[in-house]
Amino acid sequence: MTASRLVIRTVRYGGVWASLLAVTSLLQAGAALVLPAVLGRAVDGVLGGSTSLTWPLVYAGLVAISMTGDALTELSTGAGTAVATARLRHLFTRHVLGLGPSAGLPPGDLTSRAVTATADTAYAPSAAILAATAVVPPLGGVIALVLLDPWLALTFALGLPAIVALLRSFVRDTSAVVGRYLEAQSRIATRLVETLAGSRTVAAAGAAERETERVLAPLPELSAQGHATWRIQATTAGRSTLAVPFLQLAVLAVAGYELAHGRLTAGGLLAGAQYAGLGSDIGPVIAQLGRLARARAGAARLAPVLDRPMSAYGPGSLPGGPGRLEFRGVSAASVLDGVNLVVPGGGAVAVVGRSGGGKSLLAALAGRLADPDDGEVLLDGVPLPSLKHAELREAVGYAFARPALFGDTIAEAIGGDAETAARAACADAFIRRLPLGYRTPPSEAPLSGGELQRLGLARAFAHPGRVLVLDDATSSLDTVTETQVGDVLTRDGRTRLIIAHRVGTAARADLVAWLDGGTVRACAPHRELWSDPEYREVFGE
Amino acid sequence: MSDHRARSRRVLVAALRRRPRALVAFGLWSALGAVPVLVFGRSVAGATDAFLAHRAGPALAWLGVLAGAAVVGAVGAARAYGPLAAVVEPFRDALVRHVVRGAVHESVRTERADDGAVARLTQQVEIVRDTFAGLLNIVQGFVFTLAGALVGLLTLMPVTLLLVVPPVVAGLGLFLGLVGRSIRRQRELILAEERIAESATALAGGLRDIAACGAEDAVAASAGRLIDAQAAAARSMARLAAGRTVALAVGGRLPLLLVLGAAPWLVRHGATPGVVLGSLTYVLQGLSPALATIIRGVGGSGLRLAVTLDRVMSAAGTPPAPYPARSGGSELALRRVTFAYGPEAEPVVDALSLRVPDGDHLAIVGPSGIGKSTLSRLAVGLLTPAHGSVTLGGVPAAEADPSVRALIPQEAYVFGGTLRENLSYLRPGASDHALDRAVAAVGAGPLAERLGGLDGTVDPAALSAGERQLVALARAYVSPARLVILDEATCHLDAAAEERAERAFAARPGALMVIAHRMTSARRARRILVLDGTRAWLGAHEDLLEDCPLYRELHGHWTTEGRAPAVR
Repeated sequence: MTASRLVIRTVRYGGVWASLLAVTSLLQAGAALVLPAVLGRAVDGVLGGSTSLTWPLVYAGLVAISMTGDALTELSTGAGTAVATARLRHLFTRHVLGLGPSAGLPPGDLTSRAVTATADTAYAPSAAILAATAVVPPLGGVIALVLLDPWLALTFALGLPAIVALLRSFVRDTSAVVGRYLEAQSRIATRLVETLAGSRTVAAAGAAERETERVLAPLPELSAQGHATWRIQATTAGRSTLAVPFLQLAVLAVAGYELAHGRLTAGGLLAGAQYAGLGSDIGPVIAQLGRLARARAGAARLAPVLDRPMSAYGPGSLPGGPGRLEFRGVSAASVLDGVNLVVPGGGAVAVVGRSGGGKSLLAALAGRLADPDDGEVLLDGVPLPSLKHAELREAVGYAFARPALFGDTIAEAIGGDAETAARAACADAFIRRLPLGYRTPPSEAPLSGGELQRLGLARAFAHPGRVLVLDDATSSLDTVTETQVGDVLTRDGRTRLIIAHRVGTAARADLVAWLDGGTVRACAPHRELWSDPEYREVFGE
Repeated sequence: MSDHRARSRRVLVAALRRRPRALVAFGLWSALGAVPVLVFGRSVAGATDAFLAHRAGPALAWLGVLAGAAVVGAVGAARAYGPLAAVVEPFRDALVRHVVRGAVHESVRTERADDGAVARLTQQVEIVRDTFAGLLNIVQGFVFTLAGALVGLLTLMPVTLLLVVPPVVAGLGLFLGLVGRSIRRQRELILAEERIAESATALAGGLRDIAACGAEDAVAASAGRLIDAQAAAARSMARLAAGRTVALAVGGRLPLLLVLGAAPWLVRHGATPGVVLGSLTYVLQGLSPALATIIRGVGGSGLRLAVTLDRVMSAAGTPPAPYPARSGGSELALRRVTFAYGPEAEPVVDALSLRVPDGDHLAIVGPSGIGKSTLSRLAVGLLTPAHGSVTLGGVPAAEADPSVRALIPQEAYVFGGTLRENLSYLRPGASDHALDRAVAAVGAGPLAERLGGLDGTVDPAALSAGERQLVALARAYVSPARLVILDEATCHLDAAAEERAERAFAARPGALMVIAHRMTSARRARRILVLDGTRAWLGAHEDLLEDCPLYRELHGHWTTEGRAPAVR
């Protein structure tokens, strides 16, 4: 899907609000166009001594229509954008969740797409409609001038290029100064980020005030550039406040001449001045085109993500079984090349190998956090892609080196019988030392890497299912804790696939799968492999 | 909550009061900017009547007056930016200072980086700057345009004011009635946006874990609730915006209809065609735009200013008043110290007593998460114990002169600047000789050479974690501190580099406290403190091997795995 097609689709997301906006904004533009002429007729009637109320009443009616249109335009613009934003955000969130880890974007980038790009794209319905209707008043204003008196139109046409030139010079002048202003601002931001990252050192040195001064050192430069931006604005403001009045003035002078010669009424003069104003009112068009460009830029950031197909799940269920995990000729990401490996049901297999050799990828494949390019992964004889989503996730649990926690409390983040699982993961003691114990929100808990890892282990222990995959999940634990967790793991009756860096972890497993050159070089007990010097080298021996 | 809103108001008022002359100048130039409005209707009236009377000269003279007024107005509008900048820029400076100072002090207090600070600095402060300037312009535009139109009407035909003023007042009243609710809704909308951003950040960082736990539906549902809440808040803002247009209709358009309706009567009472046209011009070109400016402007930038300024002011508190740093000796003494992170939490340190005299070399070992770092923070007074006392040279640790001790944490602090600036951080004005010696002592020589010596520029992002630790170690070495605490400060160095650095600190005058990452650090110490959460042992290596089962276990793991180094 291209960005343009997503923009078109988003216009439809505006739904009834977009339709309402189209009607009301057109109505409003039409009313704005007719109002000066009607006012002119009404004034001419009054000045001519007529007591007929027709034109004043028509004028009042038009004003009422215009104001109703104004209110409905505000309402439908806001509501339509809100509806479109929400629909895009739902769509994008679900799609990203469906892509899972294969979304493959840095978290910050993904966040800005999910929050900012969706909001920008959602301008599409209102911007497209308002850009179209905003053309009506200036275009109609010029046509009205032609109909009113061709000389007025000619005068206006001669003055218009000056206004356009002014608008363009404004854009050109400001961008350079604004650029320098932003540079000074980002220097302050960079220093602030550095200081915040070193907060413990700053705290210990009692240097908070000194740091504040260091961060603020570029402030005078920011201020100087800030003043420069106002000076630019002053010159352009001076020029642009002259442009429109002089255009109106020229039109008034010509209108007065025509009035004196009876070719124009007093009401016509009043209308002419207003149409000159309408005709030069191209600001809204430019503003709406700008919003439309922003919507398209937003769509260009969403479309590539939405284009990627989500992982599909089959309808299958698992038969009863011990949790035998089998990799058959699995190749993936040009790292794994025809891996054959069987993890026996209820057994523990440690995976070792050089870093960058595809160990974590193998772990991801074991529970379909990634799909192989070639070959297949089977659990108790069933290919993983044929399993239902719930069935697969129930069967395979994971623990990671740097787990991300979800839930409002630590207990919720672990899930299941949190305290039992936490005790098994040696996490109970430090959880009890947290400000609110098990009810501490994960985001507010001051956790070290090792503590976080143990919460991830607890979560995996609390998970039911027949397979447990540990991807470097004990790397930050000190040796004592690792031994204790290792004992728990040894007693666990589930099938275990354990990515390991340390000798002790490998030694405790039933079998060690030694990954080398993209395939399993050997799969045997640790003590059998240990005699091989190249195997020992894997552990830095 | 209402506290920082009151503070926001005070800050705004202070910004206006701080530059009274600039504010007066802004008002005067802005008044000049409204001269065209004042003259417009009058000129149209004069010119129209002159044209109708076929007197081209006076007609053109009236238009000339209008042209002159336009020039004067343009000059006024342009010159108003100078004083405007003189009010707005210092205000922005003050906000930047407030945000930076608040964020630095807050991060020092909580020892956690305040994630929102950069957004406040780069986005919210800028929003406040733009909307504050915008609001000043809106207010001046409203006041002087309205005044110009009303004065103009007064000179043309005073009776028209009776038709114009009541609806204007009514429209403004309607609008003001909506302002309070609009601010509340705008605040809800911004909060809803922030919650969405938070949930999106968590989601983006946890995709793998969400998939692994099969929690896609649950996460989509909770994110979806926030998305719908934001949409509801935005719709409610849209309804209020529609409501504001009613105020605009009453204040801006009703006067026109009234003047038009009364026109026959005005003509009967002596109004010329020019006067009728001029009066309508004042309403059309002065009154209606003035009302539209204030209603749309305050509804837009004014609301954003009110809410965003609240966010800026609420996020960063005022720093605590600095205490007088008292200097004593450097002997660290903990007497029955108990500390817990919360009222419901179990204590991390429980009735611990410890003395670290000058010249001591103490290592602290124990399982991760047991409170070793907490102890180091208690020692330098960054944390205050619930019971017991921590003193440094007899002075409570929190009040002791910070230069007496230096704490180097695991995450080394290096900032963009020269190597000299980084190294002399704890001893401003240290001689090059002292700096060179420190660099050599901790083994940072090759790094310093690569950076181009003391005048070389340091880019924190370009250094490895180990290199950053070397800079931090050299900085501590050169500091005047008599007590140096290394809190896993060498964890990213290899074992040999760690040993070199530790030996350098051990040979340095004063006391050394090492929170050990590797057991080899403990072997080098004179005394070792073993923590296991509920109990503590203190002694030399040999004594502990005999008395402390945990120490035996820790030490045993290290030695039996010695052939397979568990050191990472």
